[in-house]
Amino acid sequence: MPMSFLVKRSIRLVIVFFVILVLNFLLPRVMPGNPASILANEYQLPPETVKILEEMWKLNRSLPEQFVAYLESLFTGRWGYSYKYFPMPVYDLIMQRLPWTLLLLGTSSLTVFGLGVVLGIVAGWRRGTRTDSAITFTAVLVYAIPYYWLAMMLQYVFGYVLKTFPIGHAVTPGAIYTTPLDFVKDVLWHLTLPVLAITLTAYASYTLVTRNTMVDILGEDFILVAKAKGLPERRVMWHAARNALLPPVTMLAIRLGHIVGGAVFTETVFSYPGVGYLIYESIIYKDYPVLNAAFFMLAITVIIANFIADLTYMLLDPRIRYGKR
Amino acid sequence: MAMKIRELLARIAQVLYVIFVRNRKGLLGLSILLFFAAIAILADYLAPYNPYETVAPPFQPPSHEHPLGTNDIGQDILSEVIYGTRISFYVGLTAPTLAATIGLLLGLAAGYLGGAVDELVSGIIDVMLAIPSLPLIIVLAAYLGPSLNNIILVLAMFGWVGIARVVRAQTLSVKERPYIEAARALGASDSRIMLRHILPNVAPLMVAYIILGATSAILTEAGLSFLGLGDPTAKSWGQVLHHAHVRHALELGLWHWVFVPGACIALMGMSFTLIGMALEEYVNPRLRSFEAA
Repeated sequence: MPMSFLVKRSIRLVIVFFVILVLNFLLPRVMPGNPASILANEYQLPPETVKILEEMWKLNRSLPEQFVAYLESLFTGRWGYSYKYFPMPVYDLIMQRLPWTLLLLGTSSLTVFGLGVVLGIVAGWRRGTRTDSAITFTAVLVYAIPYYWLAMMLQYVFGYVLKTFPIGHAVTPGAIYTTPLDFVKDVLWHLTLPVLAITLTAYASYTLVTRNTMVDILGEDFILVAKAKGLPERRVMWHAARNALLPPVTMLAIRLGHIVGGAVFTETVFSYPGVGYLIYESIIYKDYPVLNAAFFMLAITVIIANFIADLTYMLLDPRIRYGKR
Repeated sequence: MAMKIRELLARIAQVLYVIFVRNRKGLLGLSILLFFAAIAILADYLAPYNPYETVAPPFQPPSHEHPLGTNDIGQDILSEVIYGTRISFYVGLTAPTLAATIGLLLGLAAGYLGGAVDELVSGIIDVMLAIPSLPLIIVLAAYLGPSLNNIILVLAMFGWVGIARVVRAQTLSVKERPYIEAARALGASDSRIMLRHILPNVAPLMVAYIILGATSAILTEAGLSFLGLGDPTAKSWGQVLHHAHVRHALELGLWHWVFVPGACIALMGMSFTLIGMALEEYVNPRLRSFEAA
């Protein structure tokens, strides 16, 4: 029985993966012009070269044949060439940028989740008090703040005016490090403002959901029993908090896409060399092969992270673990 | 009949009173929203210049003639911000309404008809929820080209999912109630049952979703415009920010150029969120913060 949840989620994973594959295949093909002709225009390539490229990318074949070729090249890492950085292969470009995005995403997911859930538990536990109002109101206030706006304001205050943090990039340009520790320090120093921007704009929804779940749970019988048994306040709070964790974990799965969105904007503001900044560049330069690949990479990252969140959810909720609903 | 209408109006007035006057969140949200609505309606009188016209040298710091300075091609930033209010209202109201309509139809169909229709719709909902929407929205907007209506279309394509899911669940629970059975026994058609008996039950949810959806529509439109995917013929707050970013406003110390349009986006989004929360508290009294334990 516990397998059924896993099997269902795995099937969904495969379907979603397929949908993204198909979209990624179809979108560039509904555009006027093909990669070979666009490159030819841009770089004045001779007709023979265009012919070779068209043959290589099988652009003159039927759609099903193209799809097979597309799948084949996708899994072998031949993702075409960047229009802007020609002849840089898209795959190399993405792989250069991906680690930075994963670092930013990983760090900010942890800080967003941590800050959001802790504030939500406190607000829910002290519901109706001034603490609750303050936390809830602040959360509503920041909920609608655009990532890039807060990022730009942080950049202005701490980067341009106070000069305490760098205004952009992932490392100091041209820096030479004597020890690995220096490198780590430099990376963290550059990471601070982007992570802060994402955290402050994304934590709110976790706080609101955790608070409301806490309030709901505190009204349930088992909390009354726990109190009647004479358990210390802290233990009662832990009882409730443990159960209030479920919705935010599910949300982590659904909202991770939003954190990815936050990364796209924040990277753009700070010229942080991740996939998100690459998306911005490819929009500005109409570099469609790169845009497609970056979309594909981000989508896959989110889907895999969702799947991991589902597994965590299964571990946290015994009803699902034992297959009872 | 007249009596019934009066009763209904009194009931609506009472609901509005509870949501917008007794609830401080609702009151604050409505006040901010009315403020922006006034700006949007009176834009022609409030804006000192035509936002699409070059009226001064570029990159002017704030001055008496140009309270927020001028942008990279000498347009008045204050006028841009004032006219941007209209775009935000347009996006914030059309996109979620369109999404809610799609969500309502699909949710009703799935919940009421069940069977293969339900399987299909639920399957699509499940997949849509698992697809990371923002990267996909960005890619679609990039391929569709810069037009405000394209952006609204893309937003609606992703906005309907949550509504469809809720409407489906609500329909499933309403459909089993005795009065529906009674209506069916009396020979009411499927469409009559859906429209007259189920729709009124899901309508309040729809209103809440449209209002909450407005926040995300406004934020997403602004985000797309910030990335350079905006409609150049319809200046929005996000586009003002885009130009400020591209032209290095902060490096030049022109922080007003960034601060004001961004604050407008945040405030307008906040007003919709506050109203949505007040509505939610009305529907689910357990969430009311003044109800101490």
